[in-house]
Amino acid sequence: MPGRRVVIVGVAGHWGAELARRLERDPGVDYIAGIDIEPPPVKLERTDFIEADIRSPVLSRLLPATEADTVVHCGILWYPERGRPARVLHDVNVIGTLQLLAACERTSTLQRLVVRGSAAIYGCEGATPYFFTERMARTLPLRTRFQRDVSELEAYVETCARRHPGLVCCILRYQPEIGPDLDTPLARYLELPVVPTQLGWDPRLQLIHADDATGALEAAARAPVRGAVNVAPSGSISLSHILRLARRPTLPIPHPLFGPALERLGRRLGAGPLYGDGVRMLRFGRGVDNERLRAELEYEPRFDAEGAIRDFAAKSPGRRVGPSLHLGDLTGRLSGAVR
Amino acid sequence: MNAQAQADSPQAVADFLRRMRVGIEDGLDPMSAANRAADELPQRLANVAQLVSRRLRGEYHEDEWGFDEEFAEAVYPLFEFLYEVWWRVEANGVLNVPAHGRALLVSNHAGALFPFDASMILLSIMKQHPLPRWARFLVLDWAFVLPFISAFMRRVGGVPASTHNAARLLGQDELVMVFPEGAKGTGKPFSERYRLQRFGRGGFVEVALRTRAPIVPVAVVGSEEIYPKLGDARPLARAVGAPFVPVTPTFPWLGPLGMVPLPSKWRMEFCEPIQVTDYGPDAAEDRRLLFDISEQVRETIQGKLYENLVKRRSAFVSPL
Repeated sequence: MPGRRVVIVGVAGHWGAELARRLERDPGVDYIAGIDIEPPPVKLERTDFIEADIRSPVLSRLLPATEADTVVHCGILWYPERGRPARVLHDVNVIGTLQLLAACERTSTLQRLVVRGSAAIYGCEGATPYFFTERMARTLPLRTRFQRDVSELEAYVETCARRHPGLVCCILRYQPEIGPDLDTPLARYLELPVVPTQLGWDPRLQLIHADDATGALEAAARAPVRGAVNVAPSGSISLSHILRLARRPTLPIPHPLFGPALERLGRRLGAGPLYGDGVRMLRFGRGVDNERLRAELEYEPRFDAEGAIRDFAAKSPGRRVGPSLHLGDLTGRLSGAVR
Repeated sequence: MNAQAQADSPQAVADFLRRMRVGIEDGLDPMSAANRAADELPQRLANVAQLVSRRLRGEYHEDEWGFDEEFAEAVYPLFEFLYEVWWRVEANGVLNVPAHGRALLVSNHAGALFPFDASMILLSIMKQHPLPRWARFLVLDWAFVLPFISAFMRRVGGVPASTHNAARLLGQDELVMVFPEGAKGTGKPFSERYRLQRFGRGGFVEVALRTRAPIVPVAVVGSEEIYPKLGDARPLARAVGAPFVPVTPTFPWLGPLGMVPLPSKWRMEFCEPIQVTDYGPDAAEDRRLLFDISEQVRETIQGKLYENLVKRRSAFVSPL
């Protein structure tokens, strides 16, 4: 029986490259190709790099030529960054996915499609179900541009799945990732010497550990299920608890000023603004139910919500000079619990 | 024991400072002097300091709903004061609350400014049940778009009122409190006190049927006098998005002082649980049945309210 042929779209990103690295170790995979506009950041041994822009129609010629049976789309961008404004994000996320789906429809050998999406589709509101299940998408208003993009591209994938019943389409809805050496705006926010928070708010968060994020992606690439799957750790943790575990002094700011303050501070300290989604998330929080991930995708996250933070806190001390000035450490030293 | 610790503390702080001065006179730097002084603190104070330090270092547990048991225990004495002294709560039939497993407590809702009934029901179970357990309560959505209040509610066991949340909690064998009257109950004028409002769409019965949780009706007398609502500042309510803004004899005239609830006498009664396990699997979709059970619960509570109103005699003076 011939092995599998996998194409990873967005291989220059962290998740695409990590997935390629893991699949290379899998003897059941015969051929791996990576598509992106620039080469992957890490050295890959047996991954073919195909230089192509996901937004261009050339994908429709390149993809069928690979004779792939699995396509994993890791090219969805979450955060605007310098040189990559929100408009480019929309192009890559929506138009890019549309081009990719068109190319997939031309690829007769294709059996599985995995899209690495976002749990932002559920939104962040004050009063919501505390654990969204996959069927609750779009029950809340789509307030930010990124949310609308995610919702739109999911609709395209759903249409594609309906038109091609033989093709197994799986959308992974990721909660934000956290990891000791993961560089995202959220991680940079948590690394700030003094972390601004929104006065009076304490959101419930679920941050998935980077290992689990890659693990779930690998599980989905190996044996995808139909439809949407939430990727999140079990349990949840509040922001105040996160910041205490990570020993970060906080600075509560009235919430209308939080976004602008973070943007100003971000430019100074290189933390990067979090934009609408992040700001709403750090006010209201969001939790999703990961039952489908564990039962159907058969992936059991190694870290729960608190464990992921403990691992992050243990391995990344944050940026500070001199001894910790966090109250917890000070009182700990006084009471003799910490020396 | 607690009062003892408080009485001790000024003395202990003075001792601590004295020892610290001795340390500095011995030529130690302030940090080591503080360390040495702290080593000699009396045990009780050291325990408190250790608890505080442990909290600040994040060494505590919160469950997946954000309920923080230690925090709830820390604010417990305040509510205990309201329970024992302020409202002199008398609770009957607490044994009707199952000692383990899931159950849905359904109660009348009142208290225009702050509905304290949830906390008092919770306390009566903690204080009087032979096997005390923390109950969770469903809170009006609006409270969860407010800063401070939303964070506080979540830590002591509140969750936004949603059938998904209720069903998940019951699925985890928790005790869940719901107030089907919702804002209609808390916002009713003083003249209509103890007249139960419409019970929504019967969503609570649907959840109980789906999760096969027994329904325990609870009648609370006394809560409807703590903030006599005489009027409603409608334009203000519309401006801030609140369901209503009450006007009471003291609020908003006396400012923050107007938020002090009146010390009425409370009586609480937990009724016999209504079992719903006998109904078939698709009973939860039967509108007729939902309304029937909802009405049965409503009538039970209404009946018990009248009964307890008579037994209570006076609203503010407790009989000797």
